[in-house]
Amino acid sequence: MDGVEEIRVFLKKLLALRADRQPFSDQSSLFLSGRLGSVDAVEVVVLLEEKFGIDFTETGFDQVQIDSIDAIQSLIRTANVSK
Amino acid sequence: MPTTPELSTTPGELSPPSGGRLANFRLIPRIETYSAVVSFAQTLPGKLALLAVFALGLAYNHRPWGPLVFCLALITFLPDRRRILLTVSTLVFTFLVPWSGFSNPLYVATLICLTILLGALLFWSVARWPRSWYGRRAVLLFLSGFAALVVFAAKTPRDAWFGRLLWDFTIMLSTYIWFIGYSLLDAKTASHDAFKLQLGSYRPFWGSTDTPFAKGASYLRRIEARSPEQLAVTRLKGVKLLAWASLISFFSDIYQHYVYGSFRIPTYSQALSLSASHVPPPWYLCWASLIANFFGGIISLSILGHTIIACCRMAGFNALRNTYRPLSSRTVAEFFNRYYFYFKELLVDFFFYPTFLRYFKKHYKLRLVASIFAAACFGNAFYHFSRDLNLVHSVGLARALQGFQVYLFYCFALATAISISQLRRRGPAPSGFIRGQLLPSFCVVFVYCLLDVFGATERNYPLVEHFRFFARLFNLNM
Repeated sequence: MDGVEEIRVFLKKLLALRADRQPFSDQSSLFLSGRLGSVDAVEVVVLLEEKFGIDFTETGFDQVQIDSIDAIQSLIRTANVSK
Repeated sequence: MPTTPELSTTPGELSPPSGGRLANFRLIPRIETYSAVVSFAQTLPGKLALLAVFALGLAYNHRPWGPLVFCLALITFLPDRRRILLTVSTLVFTFLVPWSGFSNPLYVATLICLTILLGALLFWSVARWPRSWYGRRAVLLFLSGFAALVVFAAKTPRDAWFGRLLWDFTIMLSTYIWFIGYSLLDAKTASHDAFKLQLGSYRPFWGSTDTPFAKGASYLRRIEARSPEQLAVTRLKGVKLLAWASLISFFSDIYQHYVYGSFRIPTYSQALSLSASHVPPPWYLCWASLIANFFGGIISLSILGHTIIACCRMAGFNALRNTYRPLSSRTVAEFFNRYYFYFKELLVDFFFYPTFLRYFKKHYKLRLVASIFAAACFGNAFYHFSRDLNLVHSVGLARALQGFQVYLFYCFALATAISISQLRRRGPAPSGFIRGQLLPSFCVVFVYCLLDVFGATERNYPLVEHFRFFARLFNLNM
């Protein structure tokens, strides 16, 4: 499973825990729309730290950075470039 | 990177649990999904009709509607200038609308100007040097500086003009600290708004408590309607939410009448007072007062939050509700999120994330618990202490801190409850209405009712009296 697919599955699991089974695209807003909350953001942060080595103390954190799959991909790209 | 949620594909609220036909029943229909209604709302008569209906709703909810609807009308007909009109409207509501109510208008206006000036200076410094030592710790330094100012002002004799001015300024600043805080968080980002737009989020004209409703400029930028259709949908949702507030307000009158009138259930304050006077009500009346207080709190917060967010949506910002189905919460943490969303967001943004991202990275559980305590215990206590600074003025700093012991205990107990709730493994809800929904919701209400014994922010009784009342609930006499 590649990184993006892993994130997709992970987000789907988080939504399922909230009994949200609506489909979502790579552009769908998940946090600003309220489908996921700050508790879920914490789990996404931990995943990105562990799997992709992103250090938010360096980059700073804003929920919009992980609001959609596209946003997460862009965050990962930026983090890789600055390494 | 998308900067705004897509209105057509997202629920716009916290996602509701799936359910059958009953769960999908809606007292107020989803008019924002009817294409004919959305099209009509984009026309001139439609815009005027929405404003008129909204004004009626505000009048029903006893809100002064004239200036508010005038500002909303300006924003409605000049959507391209929405953000700057938000600033103008906010300034009108900060200075002009309450002008006659100020005890000393020029003095109060000067204090507000000084506060805004301080906010501007701090914002400019962070925006100018975001990666500097100060820029990276701007909020921490600002809140620490504010705490030091409180101590200094409390120790300065208030007989002289300087002491009075210092204290009045501190009180004024206390009503703006979280608004300034949000603009400092935004200033660190590359895409931040200019200060003239940040100013629109400093106690915005649609109303607010000391908690910024709809957070700061950064959030407003992201939830702003981007097209006439999005604007129409957002405004229809605003009208709907005000209709909800009116319905709940109507229900609230009946609730108050029966609970405290016909059934003669004592208010929580009365029951606590009787308990402290050693003539406690029977245990079942103690429970009744506590439960009535709990539901009364949800009702009044819903009315307040719905009315404010409805105005915010009418201005073209698709903000999430402040209170959303709190009784459907299955965990203590979920209730905290659904009961007072923007207060929870404040605690998360200013206390939870900074702790979580910085400390105990190798120990997940410790990291989570430390962050929860930073937010729900320390942050919660800090917020309420700075909100009630007048108490320091009347009784002095030492006695104010002493009187804060009950709320401090509440914060500690709340943080403990949320930590336990979060550490328990999350899993799918058990099947069946009773095991899956009713029982967890009942447990959550039970926990929060017990916490409410210590959650009252009045400072009349020491902690021991609250424990005496707590024991009384279980028919024990202390």
